[in-house]
Amino acid sequence: MGMNWSKPLAIATLMATLAAVPVRAETLPDTIRFGAFGQGYGQPFGVALLAIAHVKGFIADEFKDTPVKLEWSYLTGTGPAINEAIANGQLDFAQYGGLPNIIGRANGLPTRILMSYGQTTIVGAARTGLPIDSIKDLKGHKVAFQKGTILHWAFLKALEANGLSAKDVTIVDLKTADQLAALAAGSIDASIGTSSLFPLRDQGVVKIFYTSRDAGPKAVGFGGILVSDQFQSKYPETTQRVVRGLVRADEWLSHEENREEALQIWTKSGTPYAALKEEFAGLSLKESFNPLIDDFLIEQYRDATQFSKDEKLIRRDIDLQQWFEPKYLNAALKSLGLEHYWPHRTADGAAIN
Amino acid sequence: MTVSSPPGSFASPDLRHVATRSRPGVLAALTWKRVRPRFWPVAQFLLPAAFPLAILIAWQVTTANNWLPVQILPTPATVLSTFWDLVTGGDIVVNLQISFWRISLGLAVGGLAGLAFGTVLGVSRAADEMLGPLFKALAQVPSLGWVPILILIFGLDEMLKIIIIAKACFVPIVLATSEGIRNVPRPYREVAQVLRLRRRSVLTKLLIPAALPTVFGGIRLALSHAWIALIVVEMLAAAEGVGYMMVWGRTLFQIDIVIVGMLIIGGIGLLMDAGLARIERGMRRWEPARA
Repeated sequence: MGMNWSKPLAIATLMATLAAVPVRAETLPDTIRFGAFGQGYGQPFGVALLAIAHVKGFIADEFKDTPVKLEWSYLTGTGPAINEAIANGQLDFAQYGGLPNIIGRANGLPTRILMSYGQTTIVGAARTGLPIDSIKDLKGHKVAFQKGTILHWAFLKALEANGLSAKDVTIVDLKTADQLAALAAGSIDASIGTSSLFPLRDQGVVKIFYTSRDAGPKAVGFGGILVSDQFQSKYPETTQRVVRGLVRADEWLSHEENREEALQIWTKSGTPYAALKEEFAGLSLKESFNPLIDDFLIEQYRDATQFSKDEKLIRRDIDLQQWFEPKYLNAALKSLGLEHYWPHRTADGAAIN
Repeated sequence: MTVSSPPGSFASPDLRHVATRSRPGVLAALTWKRVRPRFWPVAQFLLPAAFPLAILIAWQVTTANNWLPVQILPTPATVLSTFWDLVTGGDIVVNLQISFWRISLGLAVGGLAGLAFGTVLGVSRAADEMLGPLFKALAQVPSLGWVPILILIFGLDEMLKIIIIAKACFVPIVLATSEGIRNVPRPYREVAQVLRLRRRSVLTKLLIPAALPTVFGGIRLALSHAWIALIVVEMLAAAEGVGYMMVWGRTLFQIDIVIVGMLIIGGIGLLMDAGLARIERGMRRWEPARA
């Protein structure tokens, strides 16, 4: 302290270092471990943005001049299992649903939200032959879904929007695979899930009475790609490269001519092609996979956090401002010239530019 | 060997020998009984507590040093306060009532059916040859393997849970009962034949008392199987019960709830096992004396 020349000297040294080693400013990790929710088919592939970045090698490209290895796991146990894996130090980056994001963070899991992974269409299916044609008709019926997932939030919000509450239905907490058996056996009346319910409709077991597409952008499932806080503070440059790869993957995904290939990539997860095609039919993939941390995404997280508190899913509050870490996304957008590519959205989901 | 019941009755000393042979634990317990008076009496209480205490200390040290993230291993204090919250909030009472009811009903149904079927297999060689292999094959399929088919037949309601728990209890009790009866030494059967005892007397005076220790071993095993099955069914399709409470704790990433569930199940299992052991001792005391 007190030595006036220390600061200029430090800057000069730093600049010299940067000039000499323009890329390698940090020791890269040996391995980067990515995780995402699986689709319940036990396949080593998933859906949404991370699966595209994985299969198309967008993140691998960012590390092609290095010995860094990338590991990918798609966990059948979805959100809760991903939270455990992050706590265990087994994952560095993870793509999973907003509700388990919140549950993990509220229990002190050190994560940062880097970007949105895109949207998930929520689907309601009822056994054929039952007089269920809308959310309102569920009153007094047995409805199954996996609690603690984004479906839980989406369904209770849909009930609320239709003047009902959780007390008006009998909720059965079931994993997707068991729901199919339970629907076939007639022991539940309806199921809340994703496009994986479409094949059941094609078999004539159920009819679809609700999709979140009809209920506006705020009813759609959401979630983030998160990084463990230790990882991003230890490896900021690596994190930057990963996010750059993700943004390039997202930009690729946004072009209509790549839709078919993207659907094919997602079928590797085990989800039938027809189901995926239907889920995204008529939807702009550019809009659906808007990565921005904008007012809309923040509002969705704020809403789901409040929901989690009301439903006593979490015991502590979350400081959302502390949780989002948009600097990597912003830098990546800038370096790729994509700052204005995806529109910012208002809290209600309307595009503003 | 110390003998707790009056000797000299028709079958007692040798039957105890049979029981000892079939369950090595008894021998160890008897040996321990002989050694015990040499210890300071307090050791009696300290010894069983030593290991749990060591685990508790290791747990406290681990959490105090942050060797494991608190999300994976919460502190003992957190678990205690969660336990207290669940007790005062009434969650534990409600969940325990439901789980207890399921266990009792499943154990009663599976146990009675198992006793009956096991007796048939033990008494009748023909029945054993006809039904034994099929039973053993089906018994190999774990409870979880039955679930998909049982859901299709019985749906997701209480019936499914009771049936799975009953099935879990049924198997060890059948095995223990049939084995207990079959292992009655041939000389005793011959004596019964010479004495021309009626079939009924053979069953009540010889086979049942002789098989009882083995059967009780089976019942105690069945109880532990019942808890496992309970957790399986409650994890699968329930909205209440101790097992569901644990699943829910995991979903909410609140491992303290899971640990509370483990402690409760462990504690209750220990109590129930001790209760059964006491009943067993009581029965063995009067059975031979009556004969």
